Amino acid sequence: MNARIWMTALVASSVGLAALAHSGATGVMKERMDAMGEMGDEMKRLAPMMRGQTDYDPDVVRSAADTMIGHAGTQMTELFPEGSNGMPSEALDAIWEDWEEFAALAEALRTSAEGMKLAADNGLAGPGEMPGGGMMGSGQGMMGTGKTMMGAGQGMMGGAPTQMMTTEMLAEMPVNAGFMAVTQTCSACHQKFRAEEN
Amino acid sequence: MRRLARAALLLCVIGGASGVGLVAWPIGVEPPSTLESLEGNVDRGAYLARASGCIACHSNFEAGGAPLAGGAPLETDFGTFYPPNLTTDPNHGMGAWTISDFARAVRQGVSPRGDPYYPTFTYPFYAGFTDQDIADLWAAFQTVPAVPEPSPEHDTGFPFDQRWGLKIWRAAYLSEPDTSPEVGRSEAWNRGKWLVRGAAHCGACHTDRNLAGARIATRIFAGNDSLPGGKSAPSILSADLQAGGWDADSLAYALRTGITPEGDVFGGSMAEVVNYGTAFLSDADLAAMASYIMDNDLSGN
Repeated sequence: MNARIWMTALVASSVGLAALAHSGATGVMKERMDAMGEMGDEMKRLAPMMRGQTDYDPDVVRSAADTMIGHAGTQMTELFPEGSNGMPSEALDAIWEDWEEFAALAEALRTSAEGMKLAADNGLAGPGEMPGGGMMGSGQGMMGTGKTMMGAGQGMMGGAPTQMMTTEMLAEMPVNAGFMAVTQTCSACHQKFRAEEN
Repeated sequence: MRRLARAALLLCVIGGASGVGLVAWPIGVEPPSTLESLEGNVDRGAYLARASGCIACHSNFEAGGAPLAGGAPLETDFGTFYPPNLTTDPNHGMGAWTISDFARAVRQGVSPRGDPYYPTFTYPFYAGFTDQDIADLWAAFQTVPAVPEPSPEHDTGFPFDQRWGLKIWRAAYLSEPDTSPEVGRSEAWNRGKWLVRGAAHCGACHTDRNLAGARIATRIFAGNDSLPGGKSAPSILSADLQAGGWDADSLAYALRTGITPEGDVFGGSMAEVVNYGTAFLSDADLAAMASYIMDNDLSGN
């Protein structure tokens, strides 16, 4: 048996092992999955705090924001070299077809996370000020007035977060606003650039 | 291949029927004449339109479209469908419609000209809307600014471009949604059932469809791997959701924000459902929907 066959067998088996280790993700694919996972962990910590279910701690908010800032902008986009999708990646071709928007959203993650960080000491909005503590649209505002045309204001909802609030604006607001802006950014990017899982 | 199988299936069904009679076969019934005298509530109608996904599906915000001026195309095994312009434009929207036309379209899936709509329009879920619901919706739609943009024609090949074929489809598959209250359940739970099984039409995506594109009743909420555009929707059966770490509280929160118990944020069409629909619903309604979804008698087969 010659060396080449041994080599091939060795490479094949180690590739197989790597595939088993992390659903087949290696290299940048694994790096970005880990980055997303870290941000998900921060979201998981933040959500109950923003809802008032756990004690509010501005240090936790700042540290979570730092994690996101560390994965935003070019730190995010350089983990998506052209064509780096295919199994087991959930990245869609749309990323490279519309790179400008993808990059803008990666940058929006930075500005919204920085806004949330600066707002950490502002604390939470009082009850009723931001119903649901969630996305921009919260029933009452849209429905209650009667003078609002149906569907009006959707442009804002659908627009890229870059057209939304700046870091400086978020810094002046209750921390929920920054958290909402971060969530909106995640959502906008996942909506367009991530395959649906099953 | 699946497309061929579908075509063959449809042709077989049609072969047994009289084609000429089908074209003339009238569908839908005239709504009650009292409908026109009802006063609609714009706020309530706009809320119901949000809950029902009208704005999410009939707007293409991604492409910079105006609200309700026509949605992003749906690519299916039967062809490409374009959710039409629902603004008050008289030529390209619903500006020339009567409230009876609207009632027939929403509850029965029949156009003002008497043609059946394709089931990509989720009208079967709206069949239980009351006359007052219709009046409220109609009042809300009157507030939508006219957008004079034509909706593209649906792009379906033969035989799916033969709309009379849909009459057979209706006869075979169309059934009333089960939105009726159940004895022994709370008011909130029954409200949740009304929303989930009706207006919010969760089952439209989260249920497998057969070769003819009809939902398979026994597979309700068990998920669907072949949604338009090659997308998929996971199971929302209570047992599966619980196994995935969900409870009623986290589900209601996710319908408001898109944030899952794992700290993920919804993408794909569920992001649209939340951003343009459920995020606008009241806390009480989201809690009601979640309580129904997490606790019902449906199970996978």
